[in-house]
Amino acid sequence: MITDLGYGALAITFFLTIYGVLAAIWGVRTRRPDWIDSARNAMLLTFPLLTLSCLSLIYLLVNGHYEVEYVASVTSTRMPLYLRITALWGGQAGSLLFWSWLMSAFASAVTLRNWQRDREFLPWVVVVSLVTLGFFLGLTLFVENPFDRLWLLPGGLAIKSFFAPEGAIPYFQSDGKGLNPLLRHPGMIIHPPMLYLGFVSFVIPFAFAIAALITNRTDDRWIQITRRWSLVAWLFLSLGLILGGRWAYDVLGWGGYWGWDPVEIAAFMPWLTGTAFLHSVMIQEKRGMLKHWNMILIILTYNLVIFGTFLTRSGVLSSVHAFAQSAIGPLFFIYIGASFVISLSLLLQRWQDLKSDLHMTSLLSREALFLLNNLLFLGILVICFWGVIFPLISEIITGQKVTVGPPFYERATAPLFAGLLLLMGIAPLAAWRHSTVQTLGKAVWKPTVVSLFVPLIGFLGGIRNWAALLGFWLAAFVACVTLYEYGRAVIARSRSRGESLPTAFWNLAGRNRRRYGGYIIHLGVVLMAIGIIGIELFQKETQGTLAQGEELSLGPYTMRFESLAVFDTADGRNVARAVVSIYKNGRFVGELYPRRDYYYESQQPMTIPGLRSTMEDDFYVLLVDWQPISSAGATFKVYQNPLVNWLWLGGFVFIIGTLVATWPESEKSPATVRARRRTPLAAKAS
Amino acid sequence: MEPGSQEQAIATNSTARLGWGRVLAWLAIIALLVILGAGLLRSQQGSVNVGQRIPDFPLTTFDGQTIHTADLRGKILVINFWASWCKPCEQEAADLEAAWRFYQARGDVVFLGVDYVDTEPEARAYLEKFEITYPNGPDLGTRISQAFRIRGVPETYIVDQDGILQFVQIGPFRSLSQIKSVIDPLLQP
Repeated sequence: MITDLGYGALAITFFLTIYGVLAAIWGVRTRRPDWIDSARNAMLLTFPLLTLSCLSLIYLLVNGHYEVEYVASVTSTRMPLYLRITALWGGQAGSLLFWSWLMSAFASAVTLRNWQRDREFLPWVVVVSLVTLGFFLGLTLFVENPFDRLWLLPGGLAIKSFFAPEGAIPYFQSDGKGLNPLLRHPGMIIHPPMLYLGFVSFVIPFAFAIAALITNRTDDRWIQITRRWSLVAWLFLSLGLILGGRWAYDVLGWGGYWGWDPVEIAAFMPWLTGTAFLHSVMIQEKRGMLKHWNMILIILTYNLVIFGTFLTRSGVLSSVHAFAQSAIGPLFFIYIGASFVISLSLLLQRWQDLKSDLHMTSLLSREALFLLNNLLFLGILVICFWGVIFPLISEIITGQKVTVGPPFYERATAPLFAGLLLLMGIAPLAAWRHSTVQTLGKAVWKPTVVSLFVPLIGFLGGIRNWAALLGFWLAAFVACVTLYEYGRAVIARSRSRGESLPTAFWNLAGRNRRRYGGYIIHLGVVLMAIGIIGIELFQKETQGTLAQGEELSLGPYTMRFESLAVFDTADGRNVARAVVSIYKNGRFVGELYPRRDYYYESQQPMTIPGLRSTMEDDFYVLLVDWQPISSAGATFKVYQNPLVNWLWLGGFVFIIGTLVATWPESEKSPATVRARRRTPLAAKAS
Repeated sequence: MEPGSQEQAIATNSTARLGWGRVLAWLAIIALLVILGAGLLRSQQGSVNVGQRIPDFPLTTFDGQTIHTADLRGKILVINFWASWCKPCEQEAADLEAAWRFYQARGDVVFLGVDYVDTEPEARAYLEKFEITYPNGPDLGTRISQAFRIRGVPETYIVDQDGILQFVQIGPFRSLSQIKSVIDPLLQP
């Protein structure tokens, strides 16, 4: 019954998307606004309908309806309630439905805005959003249906199908397989929704861009409308990436946070173009330049989102993230092809209309530096893209699938990231239009001198790694510039308006949220850079098999293996848990409990590290193996990860900064009053 | 040159440039789609399936010894694809070696390590680091991995006494007991 309800709502929504697309196009062709309004209503309705569908699936998951194949494959009776709910996105079929639901939330929300000033965009925004939504719904409905039931054929074979096959009887299982243990982690519960939100919300700016191309309204209007949408999309995507890193650090058990895995890169690529876009729209707004460029960036972002989803879900590339082999690959391929071709045709058709009359006047002006920043982002994108498709190219040309690993990405992108950091320091000091070596030099020299103390201290402290010294200098430089800019503006405001310094600070962040939010983001990046330099250049690792009471040393740490216990838990795990004492420079600092959980129902083990975390470093212990009978000996893998906590702190500051930048700016709305109360807190956190 | 014709020349020039740009943009898109399409086709073919006979191959180990899988009938064969640059491979390296040492004395289980797209010094260092003692050799020209259509490393193929593939592990094994749980049922009493 509930299965039928969920499936029915899904099917109706799918046909509604087709209707909406046709009605919008018909309305434009016959110039009848009522058809366009009808299309808009269709789009509005997708959200409640898909909510119903999602709720139905959640009901089935929570109540253990194991006759539904999806429910049986991702839940089990022993799973707690919250995991059964989050199992909604724990498998291919459910996550496609969830993706569509989030997409419909954005599509519905966009219909509710005030369209009076830009009615000509409306039908095309509806068309682009609904085509995207319809595609995903089609996949859910016809290929990966989460409402498929299990049936037993007369021959004894169990198959999945929504409608009863001839002669088949329903197949009721008493229990399901349970969620993949790797996904039973708080980070993993929020990581996919955030990433999906980031993905789907980029559809809206793209829809407006395409609408602007089709209607040939190539002024800045589409950019003004979509500025906040892009920031929201970017916020979620950033959050998704950061949470993914944290999850990998806690769960995957290789002492890292980022492995340059194709799927990580697939999510990182739209982030790169999105970040470039957020910077370059400012140039179009202030100077009316780079119109082509912005169009290209947003088109790229959308297509990279689809491309990334295709890579993850089609089985084309191997990856820790890849879903099982799936039939959706060919359909995705067709959709990607169509999307590439249509976007490119539209762009080329309007190429001349997007021309700007203005030209760069100075190579040191802020717009020139922003452009350079964009080129660096695109450079990183090209490296990532090349790394991802290189195995496919090499397979075509030589017949051998050559995969490039992390060293390739690290070596190729590191100088570009360093360049970006440098620009992050210089660009905010450069003036729009015209900047010379003198003016820029005058602004830059003070922070430069101050920041040089950091690598100097590092050098005196014994760091001889030049890459690290350079990295620390760059981080310090950006931090100095940003704080200097902030400080200068606060003092100027305090003098001119007679406000106290804290009030001036408060009001300043509230006045120009995008600018000062942006600075907070930059500070977040600085903190993250410190963490990344720490773990990438100074990580130490060792491993050893210890008998009870034996010790293992790494850097300033000594670890003693105290004991090991193996026991079963009520939720269906077999746990092997070791107790180790940690000494730092000979002083006892605490006990850690690295363990290995074995999930009986899904027959999968999971390694949970013991972690002692400080701002200076993390001491990270993995239990690799043990002697089951005597519990006398156990093998441990041990990492010392210097400064890694700065990465997470930086991520936090980064998100706060994005929230500040995204928050609505109008003075009178109640939302702003609330935001104002929060902003100073946010700023202080940096 | 008159100002008018100069403007015209610039205009023609930029149109010509745009023309080439167009062609290049389309070529790039088509090339990308061809690449993705080919990758997709290949991925749809899938790998060697459980229940099928494995493609036999010779493996020249790092010690210079050549092993033919066809000569190993009657024994259980564990073929592990790995690489020194592969992080997940490190997770299972100790377990695989422990499993090898566990079965070695019986004589009817053979482990083979196939080193995929690697450089020899790094590969040797990896074998030394994890104290791996079962035979390992480079997959020259990626011929073996292509025959098995592996999707990445690590992947492990477990073959029974008749050369029939019985089990495929995509990604690393998680524990020694997991490896044993696959091999034990295949052992003949």
